[in-house]
Amino acid sequence: MAALDQKSPNVLLQSLCCRITGKSEADVAYQFQYAVRVIGSNYAPTIERDEFLVSEKIKKELLKQRREADAALFSELHRKLQTQGVLKHRWSILYLLLSLCEDPRKPSNRVGNYGTVFAQALPRDAHSTPFYYARPQSLSLSYPERSVLAAHNASSMGTSGIGSLGVYPVNGPGPSPQSLLTGPGAQPIADPSRGSRLAWALPVSGSPSGPSPPTSRPPAGPASVPAARPLQRLRRDGDGSAEISEAALVRDILYVFQGIDGKFIKMCSPENCYKIDSKVPLCKSLRDTSSRLAELGWLHNKVRKYTDSRSLDRAFGLVGQSFCASLHQELKEYYRLLSVLHAQLQVEDDQGVNVGVDSTLTLRRLLVWTYDPKIRLKTLAALVDYCQGRKGGELASAVHAYGKTGDPHMRALVQHILGLVSHPILNFLYRWIYDGELEDTYHEFFVASDPTVKTDRLWHDKYSLRKSMIPSFITMDQARKVLLIGKSINFLHQVCHDRTPPGKILPASKSTDSPKDAAELFTDLEGAFQSKIDAAYFETSKYLLDVLNKNYQLLDHLQAMRRYLLLGQGDFIRHLMDLLKPELARAATTLYQHNLTGILETAVRATNAQFDSPEILKRLDVRLLEVSPGDTGWDVFSLDYHVDGPIATVFTRDCMSHYLRVFNFLWRAKRMEYILTDIWKSQMCNAKLLKSMPELSGVLHQCHILASEMVHFIHQMQYYITFEVLECSWDELWNKVQQAQDLDHIIAAHDVFLDTIISRCLLDSNSRSLLNQLRAVFDQIIEFQNAQDTLYRSALEELQLRVQYEDSKRQRQQEGEWGVTAEQEAAENKRVQDFKDTIPKMCSQLRLLTHFYQGIVQEFLRLLMTSSDESLQFLSFRLDFNEHYKARDPRLRPSLGATRGRRSSNI
Amino acid sequence: MASAASTNMNAVRETMDVLLEISRLLNTGLDMESLSICVRLCEQGINPEALSSVIKELRRASDTLKASENSTSQG
Repeated sequence: MAALDQKSPNVLLQSLCCRITGKSEADVAYQFQYAVRVIGSNYAPTIERDEFLVSEKIKKELLKQRREADAALFSELHRKLQTQGVLKHRWSILYLLLSLCEDPRKPSNRVGNYGTVFAQALPRDAHSTPFYYARPQSLSLSYPERSVLAAHNASSMGTSGIGSLGVYPVNGPGPSPQSLLTGPGAQPIADPSRGSRLAWALPVSGSPSGPSPPTSRPPAGPASVPAARPLQRLRRDGDGSAEISEAALVRDILYVFQGIDGKFIKMCSPENCYKIDSKVPLCKSLRDTSSRLAELGWLHNKVRKYTDSRSLDRAFGLVGQSFCASLHQELKEYYRLLSVLHAQLQVEDDQGVNVGVDSTLTLRRLLVWTYDPKIRLKTLAALVDYCQGRKGGELASAVHAYGKTGDPHMRALVQHILGLVSHPILNFLYRWIYDGELEDTYHEFFVASDPTVKTDRLWHDKYSLRKSMIPSFITMDQARKVLLIGKSINFLHQVCHDRTPPGKILPASKSTDSPKDAAELFTDLEGAFQSKIDAAYFETSKYLLDVLNKNYQLLDHLQAMRRYLLLGQGDFIRHLMDLLKPELARAATTLYQHNLTGILETAVRATNAQFDSPEILKRLDVRLLEVSPGDTGWDVFSLDYHVDGPIATVFTRDCMSHYLRVFNFLWRAKRMEYILTDIWKSQMCNAKLLKSMPELSGVLHQCHILASEMVHFIHQMQYYITFEVLECSWDELWNKVQQAQDLDHIIAAHDVFLDTIISRCLLDSNSRSLLNQLRAVFDQIIEFQNAQDTLYRSALEELQLRVQYEDSKRQRQQEGEWGVTAEQEAAENKRVQDFKDTIPKMCSQLRLLTHFYQGIVQEFLRLLMTSSDESLQFLSFRLDFNEHYKARDPRLRPSLGATRGRRSSNI
Repeated sequence: MASAASTNMNAVRETMDVLLEISRLLNTGLDMESLSICVRLCEQGINPEALSSVIKELRRASDTLKASENSTSQG
């Protein structure tokens, strides 16, 4: 009992040998040699150097021996040992003690039963790890069985068998224990069981050249051991023919479950199914059962093939990857089942088959146990089939379609997969609606972006919906809203250069949802998801409209369009026309933009337009249309309004060209009104003057009649354009714009507004013939103006000459001379006669003009009446209120007139 | 110095007592001397697995020896 001094291991070993065998040093030479060799080979320990693990094992061992009090005592002692800290290798000594542990309840009759115990214990653990604690469940299963079996030879060595197992495998083919046992000094060891033990130990150690008479399983131990085994085996083989045993089939089936060909059941590639080798003798029921079981293998292969081929495919995208991952998860679950089945089979094999019929694996049991997994696998296989060639949102739709089933298990399964699959989509979605970022490398999301589109068309063309990628659990309406939200954010950033962080637009906190939430969110369409989208939609759109209205005065520009391009600002237009009249009467080629721009500015300064904001006025400009030969200034002049930046999204190029067309039409109509005003003015001025020329009264009367006819027409036209077209549409537009929730609403309302105006102003392709008639009317008005002008000019000239003649006559008379000479009088009379001769010409010209004009108007009215537009029919009614034209033209009495006529003929 | 050595001694003895108690609990069949040899061997870092196998073999050998001696003496 000296201190723990450093003696050499050899000396210690020798004293140990002496101590244990109780002999002198000389007598134990061989044993000592063996011990030195075993220790000296100094192999690495196969166990972990973990003191805690070892102590736990000891406790377990004590508990197993039903010595709970001792286990508690041991923990106490162990704790004490830990506190002292003298030992460096506590785990080592504890492990040694554990290895040497024996159950005190059993009489330690070591010599006799070593062999049998080893023979029985080893095969069971031969394929497992050397640690018995690695398979607790198989232990609990096997112990009672074994004690029953080995009752007659008191199997006290259960644990030591395990312990030694940890030694022999690592022992390797090197220093065999035989050297000790069969050495020259060794005493007879004629126990046959020891040989078999070694035979078992060696193959385990991985040596290929193990002495192997009894290598087959079930182990051929001593004949006495498994006396019951052949009997059991026979019973288990069931139908007792010379066929393959059911156990072998079960083993095969387990392989097939993993998609590996078994010994008898093989993949039959032409028929694409698992088949039992037809040569194998097997009764029909077993054959059927195993075929049914083999389906599982086929299903597994199918799913497996899909995931294998897809998981490496990068272009398959995130949604596809998560689909593969979810399939993998399910497969893992399936593999877990398989491993349990395998373990069960292993246990049976290791223990022989003495476990009893109750717990053996049979095909029928497998059939029952694999019932649920089979349904799951079937669902998966169907899913895989259905999802073939789909990706992204399409794939999510496909999975979602499978969730519509009444089977709650299947629904739960699909729901789970859907949750995983839709997770990336939800991520896309949140990125998009909260940050406006589209990180969709594989084109899986249902919002597509076209990188070639410039910022000026961003709102209209850049982003679009990929219809096929909209998952079926997202409605079209939601998808549109989602598109709009992200588009608005991008619009704000890129076009409006608004740098407000998205978080400020959306006070609602964004939360990253877990996959489970994702599935719930998507399926619960009425609830959270909808409200989330709605909230984001309202906030973003509202913010965008605010920015557009406040920073970019969208509504002000809209009103400016109305006032300037649609002639809403009456005083300005009138004044502009007054100023432009001399300029525009000239040929179009002699017009210069800068002159006109100057006039425009003058007009703005002189009228109420000057109070408009400079932001609007500086956009107002003059534009000359393309000049064709013979055009006057009136034909090419146009006002223009410059739009750029975010505003241009509403007032697109198309819109502006529509505005210009409408402006031209309105400008022309306005000019007609202006001309007729002039005509009326000159008529009023000249009426009194020309009273002195009674020969003209007929012509003038004709003029007045025609002029008032035209005035009536143009007034009704203007009324129609101003009130029925512009004001009504404008009111509609303004209401819509005020109520608009997003920019798209405004754009749509504006487009509708323009379309209405275009069609009502007869500018669309349907009413081209109407427009032509109207143009002809306008032309007649201009012609009439010219005709009347020449009439008045010649009449006034004549009048002046006559006045001059009278004046000179009177002057001469006052001077006391003859008023006129004969030749003077003759010349005067001739001139008057000439003038009078021109009057019938004027008359006929006017009559011709009237005739043409009325013909055109009648044609116009006829077209109006046949028009489908109600407001145009009303216009025709208003234009011909007193049925003046109807009376003249039988074509203007269509259906109504026809019936009336028939009735009269009947009477 | 001396006191330190004696406290060390005491600690060693206590440790050995504890170990002996554990050994008794586990019914290893080692007496004090064998145990102390084993502890020393373990402290030198030899593999406990190997050591346990050696001990078992030794016991087995001695048992067979004794048995054969008995039988020869009886016979």
